Amino acid sequence: MAEHADSSTALGQMGERSGRGGSLYFRIAWRNLWRNKRRTWLTAGGIAFAIFLVSLGMSFQVGSYASMINNATSMYLGQMQISHRDYVEDEKLENTLLGATELQRRLNATFDIAIAPRAQAFALVSVGERSFGGLTVGVDFAAEKQVVNFFRNVNQGELPSSADEVLIGATLARNLGAQLGDELVVLGTAKEGGVAALALTISGTFESGQAELDRTLLFTALETVQNGFELGDELHQFVIRVKDLDRLAQVKAALQSSDILGDGLVVRTWPEYLPELVQSIELDRISAQLMYGVILILVTFSVVNTFLMVVFERTREFGMLLAVGMRPTAIMSQVLIEAALMWLIGVLIGLSLTVGIVGYYAQVGLSIAGMEELSAQFYMDPRIYPGLSADIFLLAPLVLLVGTQFAALFATVRVRRLDPVVALRAN
Amino acid sequence: MSAALVCQISLRNLIKHRRRNLMLFLAILIAVAGVVSMNTLIRGMQYSMAEAAVENLTGHVKVHAQGYRDDPNISHSFALDSDFANEIPTDQLLGWAPRVRLPAVVMSERQTRGIQLVGVDPAREDISFLYDVELTGEGLADLDDQRVLIGRELAAQLETEVGRRLVIITQGGDGLNRERGYRIAGTYNAEGVSLEKVFIFTGINPLQALLETSHVTEVSIRLSDEAATDSALQAMTGFFAQQDVADWQELEPTAAAMFLFADAAIYIWFLLMMSALVFGLINTLIASVMERVKEFGLLRALGMARRLIVAQVVVESTLIMTVGLLIGTACGYGIYLAMQDGIDLSAFAQSTDMLGMSTVLVPRLEISDLVLIGGLSLIMGLFASIYPAVRAVKIEPLEAMRN
Repeated sequence: MAEHADSSTALGQMGERSGRGGSLYFRIAWRNLWRNKRRTWLTAGGIAFAIFLVSLGMSFQVGSYASMINNATSMYLGQMQISHRDYVEDEKLENTLLGATELQRRLNATFDIAIAPRAQAFALVSVGERSFGGLTVGVDFAAEKQVVNFFRNVNQGELPSSADEVLIGATLARNLGAQLGDELVVLGTAKEGGVAALALTISGTFESGQAELDRTLLFTALETVQNGFELGDELHQFVIRVKDLDRLAQVKAALQSSDILGDGLVVRTWPEYLPELVQSIELDRISAQLMYGVILILVTFSVVNTFLMVVFERTREFGMLLAVGMRPTAIMSQVLIEAALMWLIGVLIGLSLTVGIVGYYAQVGLSIAGMEELSAQFYMDPRIYPGLSADIFLLAPLVLLVGTQFAALFATVRVRRLDPVVALRAN
Repeated sequence: MSAALVCQISLRNLIKHRRRNLMLFLAILIAVAGVVSMNTLIRGMQYSMAEAAVENLTGHVKVHAQGYRDDPNISHSFALDSDFANEIPTDQLLGWAPRVRLPAVVMSERQTRGIQLVGVDPAREDISFLYDVELTGEGLADLDDQRVLIGRELAAQLETEVGRRLVIITQGGDGLNRERGYRIAGTYNAEGVSLEKVFIFTGINPLQALLETSHVTEVSIRLSDEAATDSALQAMTGFFAQQDVADWQELEPTAAAMFLFADAAIYIWFLLMMSALVFGLINTLIASVMERVKEFGLLRALGMARRLIVAQVVVESTLIMTVGLLIGTACGYGIYLAMQDGIDLSAFAQSTDMLGMSTVLVPRLEISDLVLIGGLSLIMGLFASIYPAVRAVKIEPLEAMRN
């Protein structure tokens, strides 16, 4: 008798039981899944497809953002800049950093960073009878190579090798009608108000793809600009590259809290002077999220549909279970486990596809026909290399876990109102 | 058996399982509404960029003197014969503007910058961005105006303001500098700073006088419809045989590439949405077939032709797709109407400036896109019904009825 009582309540108590009862639930759920193989595969396939799309899209986003940030910062402006507070507000010649040589030496000694010093002045640039306005930048060409890739853009001639040579933008050269070897005169106002005049020989031209830079910039040795514009040991910017871009914020904090930087100096990182890059990434992220949202909702709907069919077909079975004393909540959790298993199959397939494809393209890169035109303009590589991060593996699966559980719950709430007698008669 | 009967059976079957078909219908609706409204946004962005490129003193078609694009100098100029406008049908021609445009140096009391000096006929500049910029001070009065109109950003860089004077140096055809003082009539606020930093406008006549020429360096032609670009390009190439004639795609390659890219984005978006939908559609159709194995068996036994069994499945799929499509398109249209005032992207101003688009994104509805989305969706619905229909046809009458 005792034995009988025990077995008759076994089903009803499954919900409260742990251990054996739990694993029994899973075994039943697993078996139920394969009662209709085609449907399970289609539903899991839908889940897999959505997870694959979203995670693949995200990994290409991660990859292209990283490449955009890297290219934009190594283009010309660098990952970080130190300058006088007033120079940030107003790029005037007199808003300089003082004692630049000593400051750079101390920064190099304390931090693991590459520093490129720059002094720059707007002035009138003439070749022969033609004149245009340009920004003359005094740089240390060897140091620049450690910080930016800008000087790889030389398209004619070579980098200046002596203090009286100059590298100018290709558009500026065209406007000036200048040839390599021509003498170029820079005429401007020195720091103390006198006339600054430089006579330089054009050693090369550059074509960066950024129209504004090619039209206005010319580069010569740092000391040439410092002497010509009476700057002494002063300059305008330290452009900085840290070894690891992910540690940029820490390096900035360390720089700010150190006593090396004197009064009035500010440290800025790329989001502050490349706002268009931050915004472009943000805009792209928002529109992608919109797309992911719609895809995930669509798949959730198809899961709802699957479970509506499951519940519909198994009305008699549920009626029987209710009649022998199983609680509605136990039946519902049974279906929820089925949903979770279906989700798991989808996640495994979807993520393995992503890992496979991302793994492949991370090696060879994805190039899109016609993208070459755009890539230079938007700081992108012509090939996109996808990247991986933890949220790629988590976001879509977690959203769909909630989605599928919700879908199964929505489809099975009816079970609570199911009358065993009516259900048993259903066909 | 008539087509009406097939439709009737399919419809009855859809209504019988209204809960799950409602879900399917909602999914189709969301997908279609999403695709339609996204489509209007992408089109809006696409045309905003193309328009900005065209308004950026480019026009749909532009004529330069040979050699000007490599060496922008007044010696590369040409005498303009205004008869050329007759070569373009008047209903296609929105307007044209002659200009003298040269690189120059501008100096204020405190600063020096390199700029583009553009001599214009203000009355003709209704075809460029100049016609709807916000002005501080005054615009140029006419083609004899000796003052200049400069960008707000450039004014800030030059530390100058309306009413003050500037010196602008440019080259004449003899290679010698021409230097002249100009009073600032006004400053303009274009949506992005990239235009404001580059262009200074003045009357074309005094600039030609200064350069001792009656030539222009360019003529920009704006058409009423982008589609007429090719024919206008041909007409102008014929008329200006000695000059360099180019369309906006050639002059603004970045904008042209973005234009094509947006076309591709529209298809990608559609394809992804619809593929996500198709799993649920196939699933539901198969369920609907498998539930009716007995019914199909009986119909077959009674002599119903196989093609009518197939027709039932196809009609069922097409019916729900059509209803979802119609209401989804209506919802998408509603979203489009709700966004009609434009989406404010001013929080992304630097980014939109880089993309060369306006800070207000106004969606744009193309009827041809709606037709395309509708057509492709129906094809998708047919495609989804293939497998379920094949399953239905395979049902053997005897076996089915025995089950």
